[in-house]
Amino acid sequence: MARIAERLGPNWFGRGIPYVKRGPLPGHLIVIEGTDGVGRSTQIQLLSPWLELEGYAVSNTGWTRSPLLADTINEAKAGHELTTTTFSLLYAADFADRLEHQILPALRAGFIVIADRYMYTAFARNTVMGVDPAWTRALFGMAIVPDLVIYLQTDVERLIPRVFDGKGMDYWESGMHLALGSDLYDSFVRYQGELIAEYDRLAEEFGFVVVDARDSIDTIQEQLRACVAGHLSKARAASAPPASAAPASRRRRAGVRSSRRS
Amino acid sequence: MRRGKKKDLLTPTTFCLLHAVDFADRLTYQIVPPLKAGMIVLADRYVYTAFARDVARGVDPGWVRDVYSFAPRPDLTLYFRVPIETSLERLLTGRTKLKYHEAGMDLGLATDPVESFRVFQSRVLDTYDDVTREFGLPVIDAAADIPTQQRMMREIVQEMLHEYEGDGAHR
Repeated sequence: MARIAERLGPNWFGRGIPYVKRGPLPGHLIVIEGTDGVGRSTQIQLLSPWLELEGYAVSNTGWTRSPLLADTINEAKAGHELTTTTFSLLYAADFADRLEHQILPALRAGFIVIADRYMYTAFARNTVMGVDPAWTRALFGMAIVPDLVIYLQTDVERLIPRVFDGKGMDYWESGMHLALGSDLYDSFVRYQGELIAEYDRLAEEFGFVVVDARDSIDTIQEQLRACVAGHLSKARAASAPPASAAPASRRRRAGVRSSRRS
Repeated sequence: MRRGKKKDLLTPTTFCLLHAVDFADRLTYQIVPPLKAGMIVLADRYVYTAFARDVARGVDPGWVRDVYSFAPRPDLTLYFRVPIETSLERLLTGRTKLKYHEAGMDLGLATDPVESFRVFQSRVLDTYDDVTREFGLPVIDAAADIPTQQRMMREIVQEMLHEYEGDGAHR
Protein backbone atom coordinates (compact mmCIF):
# COMPACT_ATOMS: atom_id res chain seq x y z
CA MET A 1 0.00 0.00 0.00
CA ALA A 2 2.85 2.35 0.84
CA ARG A 3 4.21 1.79 -2.62
CA ILE A 4 0.89 2.79 -4.22
CA ALA A 5 0.65 5.89 -2.03
CA GLU A 6 4.13 6.91 -3.13
CA ARG A 7 3.23 6.60 -6.76
CA LEU A 8 0.23 8.90 -6.32
CA GLY A 9 2.35 11.93 -5.56
CA PRO A 10 5.61 13.32 -4.27
CA ASN A 11 7.06 11.60 -1.23
CA TRP A 12 8.24 14.74 0.56
CA PHE A 13 11.29 14.70 2.78
CA GLY A 14 9.67 17.22 5.14
CA ARG A 15 6.85 19.72 4.91
CA GLY A 16 6.88 19.68 1.12
CA ILE A 17 5.55 22.21 -1.37
CA PRO A 18 1.74 22.53 -1.00
CA TYR A 19 1.11 24.06 -4.43
CA VAL A 20 2.88 21.31 -6.37
CA LYS A 21 0.21 19.31 -8.17
CA ARG A 22 -0.54 15.80 -6.99
CA GLY A 23 -0.63 12.84 -9.29
CA PRO A 24 1.61 9.88 -10.02
CA LEU A 25 5.37 10.19 -10.53
CA PRO A 26 6.12 7.11 -12.64
CA GLY A 27 9.80 8.03 -13.04
CA HIS A 28 12.71 7.17 -10.76
CA LEU A 29 15.01 9.55 -8.91
CA ILE A 30 18.47 8.06 -8.55
CA VAL A 31 21.07 10.01 -6.61
CA ILE A 32 24.83 9.57 -6.81
CA GLU A 33 26.52 11.03 -3.72
CA GLY A 34 30.13 11.25 -2.68
CA THR A 35 32.78 13.82 -1.90
CA ASP A 36 34.69 16.07 -4.34
CA GLY A 37 36.82 14.23 -6.91
CA VAL A 38 35.49 10.77 -6.05
CA GLY A 39 34.49 10.06 -9.68
CA ARG A 40 30.76 10.80 -9.66
CA SER A 41 30.64 12.52 -13.05
CA THR A 42 32.76 9.81 -14.75
CA GLN A 43 30.37 7.16 -13.47
CA ILE A 44 27.26 9.12 -14.45
CA GLN A 45 28.66 9.64 -17.96
CA LEU A 46 28.83 5.85 -18.27
CA LEU A 47 25.55 5.12 -16.53
CA SER A 48 23.27 7.47 -18.53
CA PRO A 49 23.93 6.08 -22.03
CA TRP A 50 23.61 2.54 -20.70
CA LEU A 51 20.17 3.31 -19.29
CA GLU A 52 19.17 4.92 -22.59
CA LEU A 53 20.25 1.79 -24.47
CA GLU A 54 18.14 -0.20 -22.04
CA GLY A 55 15.19 1.85 -23.26
CA TYR A 56 14.79 4.42 -20.49
CA ALA A 57 14.49 8.18 -20.92
CA VAL A 58 17.18 9.78 -18.77
CA SER A 59 17.46 13.29 -17.38
CA ASN A 60 20.61 14.50 -15.63
CA THR A 61 20.76 17.12 -12.93
CA GLY A 62 23.59 18.33 -10.72
CA TRP A 63 24.34 20.49 -7.70
CA THR A 64 24.39 24.26 -8.52
CA ARG A 65 23.40 23.65 -12.11
CA SER A 66 20.12 25.60 -12.14
CA PRO A 67 19.85 28.28 -14.83
CA LEU A 68 18.47 30.60 -12.15
CA LEU A 69 21.37 30.48 -9.73
CA ALA A 70 24.47 28.81 -11.13
CA ASP A 71 26.02 32.17 -12.09
CA THR A 72 24.94 33.90 -8.90
CA ILE A 73 26.51 31.21 -6.73
CA ASN A 74 29.77 31.31 -8.66
CA GLU A 75 29.92 35.11 -8.49
CA ALA A 76 29.18 35.07 -4.79
CA LYS A 77 31.89 32.45 -4.21
CA ALA A 78 34.37 34.64 -6.05
CA GLY A 79 33.46 37.58 -3.84
CA HIS A 80 33.82 35.63 -0.57
CA GLU A 81 30.95 37.62 0.95
CA LEU A 82 28.79 34.69 1.90
CA THR A 83 28.07 33.38 5.37
CA THR A 84 27.19 29.76 6.03
CA THR A 85 23.54 30.83 6.23
CA THR A 86 23.42 32.68 2.89
CA PHE A 87 25.41 29.87 1.30
CA SER A 88 22.91 27.27 2.50
CA LEU A 89 19.94 29.33 1.34
CA LEU A 90 21.44 29.85 -2.13
CA TYR A 91 22.10 26.14 -2.50
CA ALA A 92 18.55 25.44 -1.37
CA ALA A 93 17.20 27.93 -3.94
CA ASP A 94 19.28 26.30 -6.68
CA PHE A 95 17.97 22.91 -5.57
CA ALA A 96 14.32 24.05 -5.45
CA ASP A 97 14.61 25.58 -8.91
CA ARG A 98 15.88 22.30 -10.37
CA LEU A 99 13.33 20.31 -8.37
CA GLU A 100 10.33 22.28 -9.63
CA HIS A 101 11.47 22.98 -13.18
CA GLN A 102 13.37 19.81 -14.01
CA ILE A 103 13.21 16.90 -11.56
CA LEU A 104 9.45 16.79 -10.86
CA PRO A 105 8.38 17.31 -14.51
CA ALA A 106 10.81 14.58 -15.61
CA LEU A 107 9.56 12.16 -12.95
CA ARG A 108 5.97 12.95 -13.95
CA ALA A 109 6.87 12.07 -17.54
CA GLY A 110 8.40 8.75 -16.46
CA PHE A 111 12.09 9.65 -16.84
CA ILE A 112 14.91 8.26 -14.80
CA VAL A 113 16.47 11.32 -13.20
CA ILE A 114 20.11 10.93 -12.24
CA ALA A 115 21.17 13.54 -9.71
CA ASP A 116 24.87 14.25 -9.31
CA ARG A 117 24.67 15.10 -5.57
CA TYR A 118 21.46 15.82 -3.68
CA MET A 119 20.43 17.38 -0.35
CA TYR A 120 22.82 15.03 1.50
CA THR A 121 25.72 17.11 0.15
CA ALA A 122 24.28 20.12 1.97
CA PHE A 123 23.75 18.01 5.09
CA ALA A 124 27.39 16.87 5.10
CA ARG A 125 28.94 20.23 4.26
CA ASN A 126 26.77 22.22 6.67
CA THR A 127 27.50 19.93 9.57
CA VAL A 128 31.24 20.27 8.90
CA MET A 129 30.82 24.06 8.67
CA GLY A 130 29.04 24.12 12.02
CA VAL A 131 25.52 24.90 10.79
CA ASP A 132 22.70 23.44 12.89
CA PRO A 133 21.86 20.09 11.20
CA ALA A 134 18.19 20.38 12.21
CA TRP A 135 17.92 23.69 10.34
CA THR A 136 19.54 22.27 7.19
CA ARG A 137 17.13 19.36 7.21
CA ALA A 138 14.11 21.60 7.74
CA LEU A 139 15.32 23.83 4.89
CA PHE A 140 15.30 20.83 2.55
CA GLY A 141 11.85 19.82 3.79
CA MET A 142 10.70 20.90 0.30
CA ALA A 143 12.74 18.06 -1.28
CA ILE A 144 11.39 14.70 -2.37
CA VAL A 145 12.92 11.49 -1.06
CA PRO A 146 14.94 9.78 -3.82
CA ASP A 147 14.11 6.22 -4.90
CA LEU A 148 17.74 5.19 -4.63
CA VAL A 149 20.89 6.83 -3.24
CA ILE A 150 24.24 5.35 -4.25
CA TYR A 151 27.19 6.60 -2.21
CA LEU A 152 30.65 6.43 -3.77
CA GLN A 153 32.79 5.90 -0.70
CA THR A 154 36.49 6.59 -0.52
CA ASP A 155 39.08 7.77 2.00
CA VAL A 156 41.33 10.82 1.99
CA GLU A 157 44.49 8.80 1.15
CA ARG A 158 42.90 7.53 -2.08
CA LEU A 159 41.31 10.88 -2.85
CA ILE A 160 44.59 12.84 -2.87
CA PRO A 161 46.19 11.23 -5.97
CA ARG A 162 42.85 11.53 -7.83
CA VAL A 163 42.71 15.25 -7.13
CA PHE A 164 46.28 15.78 -8.35
CA ASP A 165 45.49 13.77 -11.50
CA GLY A 166 42.57 16.11 -12.07
CA LYS A 167 42.47 19.86 -11.61
CA GLY A 168 44.48 19.97 -8.39
CA MET A 169 43.39 21.18 -4.96
CA ASP A 170 41.08 24.16 -5.05
CA TYR A 171 40.16 26.70 -2.39
CA TRP A 172 36.64 25.43 -1.64
CA GLU A 173 37.26 21.69 -1.91
CA SER A 174 40.15 22.15 0.49
CA GLY A 175 37.87 23.90 2.97
CA MET A 176 40.07 27.00 3.04
CA HIS A 177 36.92 29.05 3.77
CA LEU A 178 36.84 27.39 7.18
CA ALA A 179 40.27 28.86 7.97
CA LEU A 180 41.52 25.56 9.38
CA GLY A 181 45.05 26.64 8.56
CA SER A 182 47.05 28.41 5.85
CA ASP A 183 48.40 25.20 4.31
CA LEU A 184 46.20 24.05 1.42
CA TYR A 185 47.25 20.41 1.67
CA ASP A 186 46.71 20.14 5.44
CA SER A 187 43.39 21.91 5.16
CA PHE A 188 42.30 19.57 2.33
CA VAL A 189 43.17 16.48 4.36
CA ARG A 190 41.33 17.73 7.41
CA TYR A 191 38.25 19.11 5.60
CA GLN A 192 37.77 16.13 3.26
CA GLY A 193 38.36 13.75 6.16
CA GLU A 194 35.57 15.41 8.12
CA LEU A 195 33.28 15.48 5.07
CA ILE A 196 33.81 11.78 4.37
CA ALA A 197 33.16 10.91 8.02
CA GLU A 198 29.90 12.87 7.80
CA TYR A 199 28.88 11.17 4.53
CA ASP A 200 29.58 7.80 6.18
CA ARG A 201 27.28 8.75 9.04
CA LEU A 202 24.56 9.91 6.62
CA ALA A 203 24.91 6.64 4.69
CA GLU A 204 23.81 4.77 7.79
CA GLU A 205 21.09 7.20 8.74
CA PHE A 206 19.47 7.27 5.30
CA GLY A 207 20.35 3.77 4.09
CA PHE A 208 22.54 4.69 1.11
CA VAL A 209 23.80 1.86 -1.06
CA VAL A 210 27.55 2.06 -0.49
CA VAL A 211 29.90 1.40 -3.42
CA ASP A 212 33.65 1.28 -2.87
CA ALA A 213 35.00 4.12 -5.03
CA ARG A 214 38.60 2.89 -4.67
CA ASP A 215 37.96 0.11 -7.20
CA SER A 216 38.57 0.53 -10.95
CA ILE A 217 36.14 2.61 -13.01
CA ASP A 218 34.78 -0.52 -14.71
CA THR A 219 34.24 -2.39 -11.45
CA ILE A 220 32.40 0.57 -9.93
CA GLN A 221 30.28 0.95 -13.06
CA GLU A 222 29.33 -2.73 -12.96
CA GLN A 223 28.17 -2.33 -9.38
CA LEU A 224 26.20 0.82 -10.18
CA ARG A 225 24.43 -0.91 -13.07
CA ALA A 226 23.62 -3.96 -10.98
CA CYS A 227 22.26 -1.76 -8.25
CA VAL A 228 20.14 0.40 -10.60
CA ALA A 229 18.87 -2.66 -12.50
CA GLY A 230 17.94 -4.28 -9.19
CA HIS A 231 15.97 -1.22 -8.15
CA LEU A 232 14.19 -0.94 -11.50
CA SER A 233 13.13 -4.58 -11.58
CA LYS A 234 11.89 -4.38 -7.98
CA ALA A 235 9.89 -1.26 -8.87
CA ARG A 236 8.47 -3.01 -11.95
CA ALA A 237 7.42 -5.99 -9.88
CA ALA A 238 5.79 -3.73 -7.28
CA SER A 239 3.78 -1.76 -9.84
CA ALA A 240 2.67 -4.78 -11.92
CA PRO A 241 -0.80 -5.96 -10.87
CA PRO A 242 -0.96 -9.53 -9.54
CA ALA A 243 -2.66 -11.75 -12.18
CA SER A 244 -5.51 -12.87 -9.88
CA ALA A 245 -6.51 -9.30 -8.97
CA ALA A 246 -6.76 -7.91 -12.48
CA PRO A 247 -10.24 -6.34 -12.26
CA ALA A 248 -9.46 -4.58 -8.97
CA SER A 249 -6.21 -3.24 -10.31
CA ARG A 250 -7.93 -1.92 -13.42
CA ARG A 251 -10.29 0.02 -11.18
CA ARG A 252 -7.34 1.32 -9.24
CA ARG A 253 -5.59 2.54 -12.35
CA ALA A 254 -8.76 4.25 -13.52
CA GLY A 255 -8.86 6.00 -10.16
CA VAL A 256 -5.31 7.20 -10.59
CA ARG A 257 -6.09 8.60 -14.01
CA SER A 258 -9.09 10.55 -12.79
CA SER A 259 -7.16 12.00 -9.87
CA ARG A 260 -4.51 13.22 -12.28
CA ARG A 261 -7.09 15.10 -14.29
CA SER A 262 -8.53 16.92 -11.25
CA MET B 1 17.54 38.40 -7.48
CA ARG B 2 16.57 41.10 -10.00
CA ARG B 3 17.61 38.77 -12.80
CA GLY B 4 15.29 36.00 -11.59
CA LYS B 5 12.37 38.36 -11.06
CA LYS B 6 12.65 39.96 -14.46
CA LYS B 7 12.53 36.69 -16.35
CA ASP B 8 9.51 35.54 -14.32
CA LEU B 9 11.48 32.41 -13.49
CA LEU B 10 10.78 32.37 -9.80
CA THR B 11 8.47 29.86 -8.19
CA PRO B 12 6.97 30.71 -4.77
CA THR B 13 9.65 28.49 -3.20
CA THR B 14 12.66 30.05 -4.95
CA PHE B 15 11.11 33.52 -4.42
CA CYS B 16 10.98 32.75 -0.69
CA LEU B 17 14.54 31.38 -0.54
CA LEU B 18 16.08 34.28 -2.46
CA HIS B 19 14.39 36.80 -0.17
CA ALA B 20 15.75 34.78 2.74
CA VAL B 21 19.27 35.10 1.25
CA ASP B 22 18.83 38.87 1.08
CA PHE B 23 17.47 38.96 4.64
CA ALA B 24 20.29 36.77 6.02
CA ASP B 25 22.81 39.04 4.35
CA ARG B 26 21.27 42.20 5.90
CA LEU B 27 21.06 40.43 9.25
CA THR B 28 24.78 39.61 9.18
CA TYR B 29 26.09 42.93 7.92
CA GLN B 30 23.51 45.53 9.00
CA ILE B 31 21.44 44.27 11.91
CA VAL B 32 23.52 42.10 14.24
CA PRO B 33 26.70 44.25 14.49
CA PRO B 34 24.88 47.47 15.59
CA LEU B 35 22.76 45.44 18.03
CA LYS B 36 25.91 44.03 19.58
CA ALA B 37 27.23 47.58 19.86
CA GLY B 38 24.12 48.49 21.87
CA MET B 39 22.39 50.50 19.16
CA ILE B 40 18.72 50.61 18.22
CA VAL B 41 17.97 49.05 14.83
CA LEU B 42 14.78 50.05 13.02
CA ALA B 43 13.76 47.45 10.45
CA ASP B 44 11.22 48.32 7.77
CA ARG B 45 9.72 44.81 7.43
CA TYR B 46 11.15 41.67 9.00
CA VAL B 47 10.50 37.92 8.85
CA TYR B 48 6.77 38.48 9.40
CA THR B 49 6.53 39.94 5.90
CA ALA B 50 7.82 36.65 4.52
CA PHE B 51 5.43 34.68 6.72
CA ALA B 52 2.48 36.63 5.27
CA ARG B 53 3.62 37.09 1.67
CA ASP B 54 5.15 33.66 1.01
CA VAL B 55 2.27 31.77 2.62
CA ALA B 56 -0.15 33.83 0.50
CA ARG B 57 1.93 32.65 -2.50
CA GLY B 58 1.38 29.03 -1.45
CA VAL B 59 4.44 27.82 0.49
CA ASP B 60 3.97 25.78 3.66
CA PRO B 61 3.55 28.04 6.75
CA GLY B 62 5.70 25.78 8.92
CA TRP B 63 8.43 25.55 6.30
CA VAL B 64 8.84 29.32 5.90
CA ARG B 65 9.13 29.63 9.70
CA ASP B 66 11.80 26.90 9.64
CA VAL B 67 13.68 28.70 6.87
CA TYR B 68 13.81 31.93 8.93
CA SER B 69 14.51 30.26 12.27
CA PHE B 70 18.07 31.70 12.20
CA ALA B 71 16.60 35.21 12.71
CA PRO B 72 16.57 36.69 16.22
CA ARG B 73 13.14 37.60 17.63
CA PRO B 74 12.80 41.42 17.58
CA ASP B 75 12.35 43.28 20.87
CA LEU B 76 9.32 45.02 19.42
CA THR B 77 7.34 44.57 16.23
CA LEU B 78 4.58 46.95 15.17
CA TYR B 79 2.10 45.95 12.50
CA PHE B 80 0.54 48.78 10.53
CA ARG B 81 -2.79 47.42 9.40
CA VAL B 82 -4.54 48.96 6.43
CA PRO B 83 -7.74 48.01 4.58
CA ILE B 84 -7.19 46.69 1.06
CA GLU B 85 -8.92 49.68 -0.59
CA THR B 86 -6.67 52.18 1.22
CA SER B 87 -3.58 50.18 0.29
CA LEU B 88 -4.63 50.01 -3.36
CA GLU B 89 -5.48 53.73 -3.47
CA ARG B 90 -2.13 54.74 -1.95
CA LEU B 91 -0.08 52.55 -4.26
CA LEU B 92 -1.96 53.60 -7.39
CA THR B 93 -1.63 57.32 -6.71
CA GLY B 94 1.97 57.02 -5.54
CA ARG B 95 3.32 55.53 -8.74
CA THR B 96 2.03 54.68 -12.18
CA LYS B 97 2.56 50.92 -12.23
CA LEU B 98 2.12 48.12 -9.73
CA LYS B 99 5.13 45.85 -9.40
CA TYR B 100 4.71 42.43 -10.99
CA HIS B 101 5.31 40.30 -7.89
CA GLU B 102 3.66 42.79 -5.54
CA ALA B 103 0.49 42.36 -7.58
CA GLY B 104 0.91 38.58 -7.45
CA MET B 105 0.88 38.46 -11.25
CA ASP B 106 3.05 35.34 -11.18
CA LEU B 107 0.23 33.43 -9.49
CA GLY B 108 -2.21 33.80 -12.39
CA LEU B 109 -5.02 35.11 -10.17
CA ALA B 110 -6.22 37.66 -12.71
CA THR B 111 -4.95 39.09 -15.99
CA ASP B 112 -5.63 42.69 -14.94
CA PRO B 113 -2.82 43.92 -12.64
CA VAL B 114 -5.14 46.00 -10.44
CA GLU B 115 -7.56 43.10 -9.98
CA SER B 116 -4.68 40.70 -9.36
CA PHE B 117 -3.25 43.10 -6.78
CA ARG B 118 -6.61 43.29 -5.02
CA VAL B 119 -7.00 39.51 -4.84
CA PHE B 120 -3.38 38.78 -3.90
CA GLN B 121 -2.94 41.60 -1.36
CA SER B 122 -6.27 40.68 0.29
CA ARG B 123 -4.84 37.23 0.76
CA VAL B 124 -1.60 38.73 2.15
CA LEU B 125 -3.55 40.94 4.59
CA ASP B 126 -5.56 37.95 5.83
CA THR B 127 -2.33 36.03 6.40
CA TYR B 128 -0.85 39.06 8.23
CA ASP B 129 -3.83 38.93 10.61
CA ASP B 130 -2.98 35.29 11.38
CA VAL B 131 0.66 36.23 11.92
CA THR B 132 -0.11 39.14 14.28
CA ARG B 133 -2.30 36.81 16.36
CA GLU B 134 0.30 34.03 16.38
CA PHE B 135 3.14 36.31 17.54
CA GLY B 136 1.02 38.76 19.56
CA LEU B 137 2.16 41.78 17.54
CA PRO B 138 0.73 45.19 18.49
CA VAL B 139 -1.43 46.56 15.66
CA ILE B 140 -1.51 50.21 14.63
CA ASP B 141 -4.43 51.46 12.56
CA ALA B 142 -2.67 52.70 9.45
CA ALA B 143 -5.88 54.17 8.06
CA ALA B 144 -5.68 56.88 10.76
CA ASP B 145 -3.92 60.20 10.04
CA ILE B 146 -0.15 60.25 10.26
CA PRO B 147 0.21 62.31 13.50
CA THR B 148 -2.14 59.90 15.29
CA GLN B 149 -0.17 56.87 14.09
CA GLN B 150 3.08 58.53 15.08
CA ARG B 151 1.75 59.34 18.59
CA MET B 152 0.73 55.72 19.11
CA MET B 153 4.02 54.40 17.82
CA ARG B 154 6.06 56.74 20.08
CA GLU B 155 4.05 55.72 23.13
CA ILE B 156 4.72 52.04 22.53
CA VAL B 157 8.39 52.58 21.71
CA GLN B 158 8.95 54.84 24.75
CA GLU B 159 7.29 52.32 27.02
CA MET B 160 9.57 49.63 25.66
CA LEU B 161 12.71 51.76 25.92
CA HIS B 162 12.16 53.21 29.38
CA GLU B 163 15.18 51.38 30.77
CA TYR B 164 17.37 51.81 27.71
CA GLU B 165 20.52 53.82 28.34
CA GLY B 166 21.81 54.53 24.90
CA ASP B 167 24.64 57.03 25.00
CA GLY B 168 24.04 59.91 22.63
CA ALA B 169 27.07 59.02 20.54
CA HIS B 170 25.26 56.11 18.95
CA ARG B 171 22.27 58.00 17.62
